[in-house]
Amino acid sequence: MYKLFFLLGVLFPSILMASTSEPKQNYMAIIMFILFVGVTLFITYWASKRTQTASGFYTAGGNITGLQNGLAISGDFMSAASFLGISGLVYLSGFDGLIYSIGFLIGWPIILLLIAEPLRNLGKYSFADVVSFRLEQKPIRILAACGSLSTVILYLIAQMVGAGKLIEILFGLPYYSAVTIVGTLMISYVTFGGMLATTWVQIIKAVLLLFGATIIAFLVLYQFQFNIDQFFSEAVNTHDKGESIMAPGGLISDPISAISLGLALMFGTAGLPHILMRFFTVSDAVEARKSVVYATGFIGYFYILTFIIGFGAIVLVSNNPEYLNNSGTLIGNNNMAAIHLSHAVGGDILLGFISAVAFATILAVVSGLTLAGASAISHDLYANVFLKGLSDEKKEMKISKIATISLGILAIFLGIIFEKQNVAFMVGLAFAIAATTNFPILLLSIYWKNLTTKGAVIGGSTGLILVILLVILGPVVWVDIFNNDEAIFYYKYPALFSMTVTFFGIWFFSIMDKSKSSIAEKKLFKGQYFRSQTGIGIEKSSNH
Amino acid sequence: MQTDSYTETYKRLIRTRTKILFPLILITVISYFSFIWVIAFNPKFFGTLIVGTKISIGILLGFFLILLIFLITFTYVYLVNKKIEPLIKQIQKNV
Repeated sequence: MYKLFFLLGVLFPSILMASTSEPKQNYMAIIMFILFVGVTLFITYWASKRTQTASGFYTAGGNITGLQNGLAISGDFMSAASFLGISGLVYLSGFDGLIYSIGFLIGWPIILLLIAEPLRNLGKYSFADVVSFRLEQKPIRILAACGSLSTVILYLIAQMVGAGKLIEILFGLPYYSAVTIVGTLMISYVTFGGMLATTWVQIIKAVLLLFGATIIAFLVLYQFQFNIDQFFSEAVNTHDKGESIMAPGGLISDPISAISLGLALMFGTAGLPHILMRFFTVSDAVEARKSVVYATGFIGYFYILTFIIGFGAIVLVSNNPEYLNNSGTLIGNNNMAAIHLSHAVGGDILLGFISAVAFATILAVVSGLTLAGASAISHDLYANVFLKGLSDEKKEMKISKIATISLGILAIFLGIIFEKQNVAFMVGLAFAIAATTNFPILLLSIYWKNLTTKGAVIGGSTGLILVILLVILGPVVWVDIFNNDEAIFYYKYPALFSMTVTFFGIWFFSIMDKSKSSIAEKKLFKGQYFRSQTGIGIEKSSNH
Repeated sequence: MQTDSYTETYKRLIRTRTKILFPLILITVISYFSFIWVIAFNPKFFGTLIVGTKISIGILLGFFLILLIFLITFTYVYLVNKKIEPLIKQIQKNV
């Protein structure tokens, strides 16, 4: 019962905050927002009764279907950052937005072909389960948790800062209250509703966002009688850069950067802990496969929509004084292109709907991230490192809730600290870390017989440290944020270098490892591989 | 005897999976990196407009690539369900 009171206690202040905000409010947005928060908190309350066990909390009991998981996964990818960010990038420079979209999409075949099924067959709650399947628990779990937590926290900061700014513009709420509302709601979803609530919040939001983006794109194309050629010509005629918006711009300037960015995007997805965690929510490898096809379909469709939306904004927003500052730039910033466009084609109602959906998107994505972070702390660090796997489930659950609340508070705190910073690089860094540390140890633990604990730990941690260093010394942080004249490390994207070091390190220290334990680890490979391919030996997750 | 029958099936499973995986991974990696490669080395080529329209080759290929990525995942799941899943079922029965 106290949960219900708590959840209502979260609901009312949020409503109050939303409706007493500044004059520029949009009633449709506020009504939609309240509806969404109400429904999701109700789901959380419903889910709280079903997430009493660790399996319920981490994996929704393993009963999510392929379609549901596909929607939830695509929801994780259709973040406010990718919806508003990519359409904003298309609005600003046309073709370049497509480079990002395709980069985010190309990770999916990799996950499906190499990771999804073995992951489901070998792991229980986190990808560290898979890596430590035959390796030494303690060092591997610590490494995987470091990789997970740094990815999650960077991602969280980027989302929180984006959220605060977005809500500031959309609802006229002060930045601090916006960040606090997001943080509080996210803590409530995850603490009480676990993976079940987090998944359903994500599914609802994915459906709403796909629906909203479809409406905008439809209304845009409708104005051109669905004549794509005329639509693009109009955009070329309107945009300052003219025909060059149809060609690659300055996003990638040299081949090293091209490959490096490509690698980070291609393999980073397969190392994102909040994505990997979703594969434990389905019952078996069959459903895991299915969910990737659905997810790829939804995400691909969504990126085509954002492309149309970005071009639509060029045609319908960029020359409409209603949406421009005195200086001729978009009110808010370029990331507001989709929001303004929704108003241009659908009036206040669509604007309200899209604003509320953007807000819902943020909530859903940060919840998934927080849950992944919390499981790294409670399942990997606490239960398997600190207590060496001897903890009882109740205790682990308690720790995971404490971890959720702490991560939530940390996210609010960091969101406030980084308010004025440029956080765009953080998602890129998160991908680079995922591609450099999480992905190689996961991939090699599944497929490479000779991997040893020593190799994984030395290679993985060297890569992790290197990738962070290279980003700090690179142009994005060293020059743009620390205001130095010249970067110590020339390239913007470090993945090519850091991934090479990781793979080499893991290979070298594994083959040099002649210890007794390493021989035992190699012997365990055959059985592990058999299980990863056939699923024989996995627990039926619904037996709790 | 039973052990033999399922190790045979298991070997076939691994062979079949490799046969399905290898070309699909190759297509994924090659198509994506050639796309990125052109962007880095010959961006002007992608800016070439398709005759009679204002749509550039790059945008068209980009859309095709999105479609291709989806088709890769679809093909994989189709093939695995058809060719590998029965083998897995067979092994599960025999273990």
